[in-house]
Parts: sequence; C-alpha cells; structure tokens
Amino acid sequence: MKKIVDAKQIKKVFGSKGNVFTAIDGIDLTVQEGEFVGIMGPSGAGKSTLLNMLATIDEPTSGEIIIDGTSITNMNEENLSAFRRNKLGFIFQDYNLLDTLTVKENIVLPLALAKVSANELEKRVHEVADKFGIASILEKYPYQVSGGQKQRTAASRAIISKPSLILADEPTGALDSKSATDLLESLKALSEQDKATILMVTHDAFAASYCQRVLFIKDGKLFTELVRGKETRKDYFNKVLDVLSALGGGAHDII
Amino acid sequence: MTLFNLAKKNMKGNISNYFVYFVSLIFSMVIYYTFVSLQYNEKIQDSIALSDTMSFLFLASSFLLILFVAIFILYSNTFFTRKRKKEIGLYSILGLRKKTIARMLFYENLIMGLLALFIGIIIGTLLSKLFAMMLIRLMGSTAAIDFDISILAIIQTIVVFLIIILMTSIQGYRLIYRYKLIELFQADKQGEIAPKTSLPLAIIGVVLLAVGYWLIVRPFPDELDGAYLVKNFGTALVAIVIGTLLFFQSVMVYLLKLTKKNKSRYYRGTKLIETSQILYRIRGNARTFTIIALLSAATISFFGATYSGYYGNEKNAEVMVPFSYSHLSKGESFDDEVLKIIEADENHPIIAKLKIPVIESNGKLSFPLDYEINPIKIIPEKALNKALIGLNRDEEGVSLSGNQVAVIKPRLTEYSEADIIGGDINVELPASHSKLTITTLLEGSILPFDYPDFFIVVSDEMFTEFAKVKDTLIYNVYEVADEIHAEETAEEVNALIDRDFQVNSSFYIEYKEGKEGNAITLFIFGFLGLVFLAATGSIIYFKQLTEATESKGNYEILRKIGVSKKDIRKSIKKQTFIVFGLPLLVGIIHSSVLLIFISNFISSLIGASIMIPILTAMAAFVVIYAGYYVMTVNTYDKIVNK
Repeated sequence: MKKIVDAKQIKKVFGSKGNVFTAIDGIDLTVQEGEFVGIMGPSGAGKSTLLNMLATIDEPTSGEIIIDGTSITNMNEENLSAFRRNKLGFIFQDYNLLDTLTVKENIVLPLALAKVSANELEKRVHEVADKFGIASILEKYPYQVSGGQKQRTAASRAIISKPSLILADEPTGALDSKSATDLLESLKALSEQDKATILMVTHDAFAASYCQRVLFIKDGKLFTELVRGKETRKDYFNKVLDVLSALGGGAHDII
Repeated sequence: MTLFNLAKKNMKGNISNYFVYFVSLIFSMVIYYTFVSLQYNEKIQDSIALSDTMSFLFLASSFLLILFVAIFILYSNTFFTRKRKKEIGLYSILGLRKKTIARMLFYENLIMGLLALFIGIIIGTLLSKLFAMMLIRLMGSTAAIDFDISILAIIQTIVVFLIIILMTSIQGYRLIYRYKLIELFQADKQGEIAPKTSLPLAIIGVVLLAVGYWLIVRPFPDELDGAYLVKNFGTALVAIVIGTLLFFQSVMVYLLKLTKKNKSRYYRGTKLIETSQILYRIRGNARTFTIIALLSAATISFFGATYSGYYGNEKNAEVMVPFSYSHLSKGESFDDEVLKIIEADENHPIIAKLKIPVIESNGKLSFPLDYEINPIKIIPEKALNKALIGLNRDEEGVSLSGNQVAVIKPRLTEYSEADIIGGDINVELPASHSKLTITTLLEGSILPFDYPDFFIVVSDEMFTEFAKVKDTLIYNVYEVADEIHAEETAEEVNALIDRDFQVNSSFYIEYKEGKEGNAITLFIFGFLGLVFLAATGSIIYFKQLTEATESKGNYEILRKIGVSKKDIRKSIKKQTFIVFGLPLLVGIIHSSVLLIFISNFISSLIGASIMIPILTAMAAFVVIYAGYYVMTVNTYDKIVNK
C-alpha cells in the first residue's frame, strides 16, 4: 500500500530567545492510502499546529513532511499553492465557504482554479453533490442553507479535485448531532468505497469513533495510538473515551 | 486617569486606525483654508469687485466646497467609527456609562480636530501661496505674491470646522445611543444578500440614459426660450441621474450575470471569484458609483469647457478685435493724438495702417435668417482686400461687380454658404442696384465686434454711389508688431478712445481681460475638480479598504484551497480596476456627451482647438485616478495577503 503522509521527527517551536514554546516535539506520522485517521488530544496539545503543517499553511521548525511522494518542507509559496490545489482537500469547523458564491460555485472552485474544462466540471459537481445529498441546493447561497448542508458543501469542495489527502479540522464542531452523523457516515463511505485518505482532527470522541485509527497527542508528543480493527463502533468509542480520561485534563472536552 | 487622558492614550495607541481619518481631516482643512485665503487675495479681490459673475462664482464655489468637505469628513468619520464599534462595546461592558463614552469620543474628536486645524492652516498657508502664484501665472501677470496670513480666512476656516467637528461628534453620539450592545459586537457580521436581476429596470436604465443623451445633443429649436431650456435640460438631468443609478444597480448586475452564462469562461481560474465579488458589492456601491460618475462628468466637462475658453482666448480675442487698435475717426486732432501714441511705441512698430469706410443702412433679406441684420454695415471691396493683407490673413480678397455682394459671416453664428448664397438683400438706399445678390460668404470680420454683426462687401463703384446719399463713417485701424505684448500703449490708447464697439478697441486689452477672467474661472474649476477628484478617490479608497477588511476571511479560505498570493493580487487588481474604472468610464462618457453640446457653441468661438484642452482634462483625471488605484491595490493586498 502507498504511503500518503510520511512525517519524520517534525518539530514546531514558537517564539524567540528566552520565551520559547515547543508546540510539536518530534512527532512521526504515517498515513496509508485509503485510511481514515483521527487526531485527538486536549486543548493546546498541538493538534491544529500539526494539521496546519500537514496542510502546508505552516512550516515545521525541523523535520520533514512527505505527502504523496513529494517533500513539502522546502517549497516556495507559488509551488505550495499549486500543491494545495492539486493534492489537498480541506474541511474546516466553520465551513469556510465563500458567501459570495453559490453552493455549486463553491464546490467547483478548486476545479476552476485548476482550469478544468466546463463539461468535466459540470459532470463532477453532480457526482459529488449526489454523494453528499446536496444536489437540490446547488444554486443556493451559503446563507440560505443549514449548517449541515454547508459542511457537506465544504466536504464536496474538498473531494471534488480527487486530492491525495483530505484534511478535516473539527468538521463536526459546529453541527447538531444528526448533521454530524450524516457527515461522518459520508466521510467513512468515502474512505471505504473511494479509497480517499482522510486525516481528521477532533475533540469529539463520537466523531473519532468513525476512524480506523486514532492518534492521541499531549504536550506536542505522540501519547498513544488506538486502532479500531474489527471492533464495533460502540466498543471503539468507549476505548477512545478511556484513553481520553487517561490523557487527563481532557475530561471536560468529552462531548 | 481622567477621561481626557484616556482619549489621548487611545489616540496614541491606535495611530494606524486614526491616521486615515486624521489625514482626511487635514486634507479637508488644507483645501478649505487654501481656497478661502485665495479669496482674500488682493488680486482676486480686485477681479471679484469688478465682476458680478466672478463674485457669484466664488460664493457658489466656497459653498460647494463646504458641502463637499462636510460630506467627505462625515464619510471618513463613518468609516472610522465603524472600525471602532467593538471598542465602544468593550467600554460599555467594562461599565462605562454611555454619557461618559460619548464625552470621551467628543474629546478625541476635539483633539484631532484642533490638531488638524492647526496643521491644516500651516500647510494651507504654504499652498495658498503656491496656488496664488499659479493663478497669477495663468492670468499672465508677473506680480509677486507676498506671504500673507489672512486673519479673516483663518476665522472662517475655524468656524466652519468647529461646526463640522460638532456634526461628527453628534454622529458618534448616535452610534453610542442607537445601537444595542450586542450589535456593536457584531458590526462586521451583517450578511449581505446576493443581488437579484431585474431586466425591466435594466432596460429602463438604458432607455433613460439614451433619452438623456439625446435631449442634450439634439439641436436647439428655432424658437429658443428659457422655458424650453429648463424643461429640456431639467428632464435630461433627471433622466441621466436615474439612468446612471439604474445602470450601476441593474444594468451592470444584468451584464455580469450574463457573463456567468458562458460556463467555460466563467469557470476558469479566479474569474468566478472576481465576478461574484463585484456582483455582490455592486448594489451597495451603486449610489457611491453614481455620485462619483456624475461628479466626474460635471468636473471634466466644466473644466474642459473653461480650459477651452482659456486655451482659445488668444484666438477669440483675435476674432473679436481683429486689428491691434481700431477707432472711429473723430476729427483730425483726435485721430492724430491716437496715431502719435501708437507711433511712439518703438517696440511695436506699425505694420499696417488703414482707413475703413463704413456706411450703415437698414435693409431686408429676401430669405429668412434668424439674425438681426439692421443696421447693415457696408464696406467697399478695396478696403476689405487691403485689410486682409494688413491682417496677414490667408484668405483671398474679393472682386465684385454689378449687384454682387459678399456677406461676412456674423460672429458667433454657424451659417453655411447654403443658408446665404443666392439670396437677395434690399438696401433702403436710392441707387442703381438696390436689390443686391449674395455671391460670396466670407469668414472673419475686420472690425471689432458690435451687435448686430452683419457686414456686407460691395464693389467700389457701388460704395461710391451709396456714399453720395448717406454719411460714411471712417474707422482708423492699426496693426502693430507683437501686439500681444503691447500693454502700455494699449492702455493709453484705450484710455483715450471711447467705447466705439461692444468689445475693446485694442486687441491687447481684449486679450488680457479675457485671459484674466478665464484664468480665474479655470482656476476655480481646476481647484474644485482637484478636490472632487481627491475626495472621490479617497471615498473609493475607504470603501475598498472596508471591503478588504471584511473579505479578509474569504481570501484566507482561497489561500488555503491553493490560490497563490500572486493570483490573489492579480484578482485584487482586476476588482479594484473595475471599481475605479467603471464610474470613471461612465463619467467620461457623460462628459463627452455634455462636451459635444458645449462645443456646439464654443468651437465656433475658438475653432477646432477644443479637443486638446478636453483631452488634457480627461487625461489629468485618469492619471490622478490611476494613482489612487495603485495605492488602493497595494493597501488591499497588504490587508488580505500578509
């Protein structure tokens, strides 16, 4: 199987002389193609910093990150933009949709930027919209649809260019439980049926229980890893909760 | 800590926020003070005293300026306070009473206002000297301008600005009292709604513009009266104002939506983002765009027209007063006295010296002509031909026989040969041929303008015949070398000669008066134009910056999904270009139509030269706007792309 993410000994230090804070302290991380991996940890553990570095929005202080065979640590801004456009898809907690564009336009944005032909673009947007059940709202504007629909729009945008890696940052954070479940089911189906590789940062043990594997981070270091294997989701959920309480300080974060 | 100190600390800590507002305050004060102190300038006071139009022009301009400055400051203040809503909300939460916050805002306003007033007057004093020098040069004079600080101007400026500061403070009070606390915190979050298309409104907009244009450029009817002017141009104005608003509100929206239809172009690169951003904002900006387009149109056309007047002044003076000096012969001793003065001027030797005999007689035309012809002024062909040589004109002389006459086209009219040639003139003088047939239309008179300006040229024989039955008036005319600088002699001659014509008797005086009058009007329009430009440019600048701050999040999203900083900058450039270019383009089109209308009666005064001054005015506009464009793109880019 192909390695999609291969991060070695990445370190991120904030601040300068005298006032240094190590957010990520030598983490190794590999994700295989088609995996659905969760990252959990208490507030301030470095989850978002890690995700930002994988998303090429932030640079590690040291270490190397290879995504889909390409090292992203020493790319310039121009190449990074192209890389993000072609290889990565993003889903954020606050949707990050452009409110001046319709749902459809939001979804096709990555393809338009990659200058894909209009026909191909129309075809793909309908494929993706069907998958997420938002075909009926394509012509609406983001302010006219619900939070769950917005997040499914964002997810559609993330996968439309068939990226090597989908990064999700607290995607269920602003959703009600029904919408959250719908979205998680869709993501799970995506990874199982379409072999999409998904890396999801979450606070929510319920969301994490949809993953095949969850990494726990504490104080910038890898604390432990939990593989689901053949367990039921419910058992796996309880295990995640156990680890969280063992992590400490995270108790108030649970649901 | 006292409230006053808090206000002071606020300003020190937030310089960047206050800076833009502060600069606009200073800018306004500089402009206003400069204008007012120019008004109290001696040279200008003289010309104001001389002419009612001039004093009206100054009064109207300073009123316009106050209005404009007030709107501009209030606008910048709105922009500024919007940024601070959250801060005000925070004070409220910390338990400061509304009254106290209001007082603090007032102190801030007062400190900034007084500081701006002080700086404004200092810069304004320097600038007013510069502008006065420019004006004096425009007027063609070499007089030196002293550094004078006008107390009256200072007092006037202070009064106007205290009132404006009071208004901005009231604006601040309203902000505090009108909004609920929660609203202050959500100032930036109000969602906008995508515009809907209305085809009927778009069509109405286009039709209104077309009707307005047509009303302006259509020729005058034969019967011209005030009521017609008011009705015609009033309707045109209303049609164009509403048409322009609809153009931005509906026509543009419609056109932009149309571009969306072309999928393969629309879904390509960042085009999608730009189109929708502009589409989204255009409704909110429509009113600003309309005001800017109309203001630019007015400024360009007024400035273009006055500049044409200034530019064409020499030609105009030459047309109005062809010879350097002309006067009615009033006996030998008088004529000699005039001649002596002219001969005494060695720097301007006489090139040509002529006596032009003129017989005035009533008469009738055999065809309709809407021009008062009586009394007809009759000149013999020999005098005309000599005058043409004396004036060094390219025109060939005339040679007439029998009952043939040549008509000199009356000045300020646009008759063509077809209107006149072949017609008959019945002169009420007993002679062998009293029915004269027009065979030639001549351009360019030889005597100074005096209404009615209807000269005919007859053969020398016929003139002798007329002279037997009617007194002949003799005009002495002189052409001198370098007449455009014959200042002293011209003044002497002018003092001696009565006003024989409606215009001056000497070319130089006509030229100088025209130049001075035109210079002041040109200066006023230029000054106002500059202020309008700067203010509209700044308003767009503010608008774009507000927009930049609001759409910061959007650009962050775009960067995350892989749009490079370079592409974002490109996209910003395109959007800003449209925001600046669109109102300017509409303004230029409007002003072109206006200028076609104006040139109808201006170009007959000054010939074909109207194109150059107008293009200069438009180019100046475009250049200054381009400067604002570059500045806006850079700041916008810094805000969203850093």
